[in-house]
Amino acid sequence: MSGVRVGNRIIGAESPVTVGWENIGKVEGGPIKQFFFTYFQPAVLFGLILFWYYAPNEWALASIGIAIGLGFKVFLLGLEWVNPRYRSWQLTWKEFATDVFYVGMGYTLIRMMNAYIGDDVMIEAIRGAFDWDKFSWFTGLPLLLQAILISMMFDFGQYWMHRGMHNWYPLWLTHAPHHYITQLNINKGAVGNPVELFLIGLGIGGFFDFLPRAALLAGAIGMAVGTYQHINVRFNTPRWWRFIFNTTEHHSVHHSRDYEATRSNYSGTWIIWDRIFGTCVDGEAELLGMEGGRRMDIAETMVFPFREGYKTFREWLRRRSQAPEAHAPQAEPAE
Amino acid sequence: MNINLPYIDRIWRASGEVRIDEPLTPEEAFKRLDPLFQTPGTSYAVEGDTLHYSKHNPAAQDKLATFTSGALRVEQASDGTSRLLFHVRSTALLLCFLAPLLFLGFAQLMVTINGWEKASPEAIESVEKKDKDKDTPKAKRELHPIDKFLGAPEPDDPAKKKDRKKDEVKEKFPPTRAYVLAGLFFLIYLVGRVLEPWLLKRTFRAALVGTLEESAINVVQQEPATGTRPEAC
Repeated sequence: MSGVRVGNRIIGAESPVTVGWENIGKVEGGPIKQFFFTYFQPAVLFGLILFWYYAPNEWALASIGIAIGLGFKVFLLGLEWVNPRYRSWQLTWKEFATDVFYVGMGYTLIRMMNAYIGDDVMIEAIRGAFDWDKFSWFTGLPLLLQAILISMMFDFGQYWMHRGMHNWYPLWLTHAPHHYITQLNINKGAVGNPVELFLIGLGIGGFFDFLPRAALLAGAIGMAVGTYQHINVRFNTPRWWRFIFNTTEHHSVHHSRDYEATRSNYSGTWIIWDRIFGTCVDGEAELLGMEGGRRMDIAETMVFPFREGYKTFREWLRRRSQAPEAHAPQAEPAE
Repeated sequence: MNINLPYIDRIWRASGEVRIDEPLTPEEAFKRLDPLFQTPGTSYAVEGDTLHYSKHNPAAQDKLATFTSGALRVEQASDGTSRLLFHVRSTALLLCFLAPLLFLGFAQLMVTINGWEKASPEAIESVEKKDKDKDTPKAKRELHPIDKFLGAPEPDDPAKKKDRKKDEVKEKFPPTRAYVLAGLFFLIYLVGRVLEPWLLKRTFRAALVGTLEESAINVVQQEPATGTRPEAC
């Protein structure tokens, strides 16, 4: 496998990755199916924006946002059956049960962790130290602009946290279990070690004062775009969408078995951050995971960062204790 | 998980038989079933008319991913038919059955933490502070002229907001979600307990009559037959 040059990098040398939009599969079927899977994503995005923009105040509640999010996920599960991207990613009972376990951990254990050591606490502490009211001008901006800025700021934080996870070993240890997923399904975003899920959830949006409606609009944009990162549905995603937003295609490249490909497409919602920082690869991959597609079970996912961290530390100690013998000074070769 | 607990072990065990309208010897039958065991992490052994297998952490698309160990026996009947008897075990089903307990445990932990939070002096102080804050009038937020023109609803006036009851302290961790998840896992278990043995039976039948798709057995582990040579974007 020779791979394809993208900028300074060779993508797909270790495992197949399709690079370039012109090489990506299209929705197959009759005109109604083609129409539906071409316009579904933009229709949902604009529909949600209109809903949250005009919803009466008594409807503009986070609880309604959560209910819409759950309903949307159930609907997308149905779409995975109707029009799967790959048969090899088909959701099975065991995969579904495993995914729901991780989703459940997010709603319970990680929520409790966040309340005591998460961004809520940090933001509260930092807010107390500075006069953040200086940012109150933000609430005077048009609602949609506020929403887009909130969404982009949050995603900017996620981009760098995610990129950090791929470049700094201690953070990578927490993120690695998520890269053992071998297929993309609607709940796969929740699969991973709780420490990673806690870290990736840290945001900076809380520093700013914004109108609740703007926050709901930002949440709707995140939901109507970010949800498609992990999904087994073939869409004919519009060209403008895939230029601005993250897609299943982008994220499948990120999860590919090709090492160089995994070091791309770090953003959650706005792929434009990857384009700006030079890490975007437009394409898709079917073969996902690590170690040739070995599936990591729940027990290993829970202990992986600690076990591997301990192993590495022990190895480091061993090398350090042997260092004087192993690294005896050697004569420099003559020029 | 070789514990023999009558009735209780039905939680994670499944048994059944598949009838085939041709006289298959055990060797022939196991040969047809062989692709199901040629997957990573699988070990198996044949003793006479019985095959024992065990799978360690099988791939997501492995046809026997749910039932990770078991025994299969082939019997030939005098009427020219044969049948495959299977007794299989599933760690996934057992864990799914136990998962509601974990989430009920989380719910109980939330209830306990909520109790501590309510009783702690900081919480009482915080409620008093919030009540004090409530009394200080807050300025009504104004929409941007563009939003006014487009007809977005005006933000609520904080002064007109209904006073919150003084004794009402919001729970820090509402345990409802944990209870819902416990119920959801029980439902997932019930579905799995019915669906998975049925799918297993269908897989065995397909393998024995020769209609099991090769691509469905080990599709994730295999490289695509034809590699694409895409152009750079």
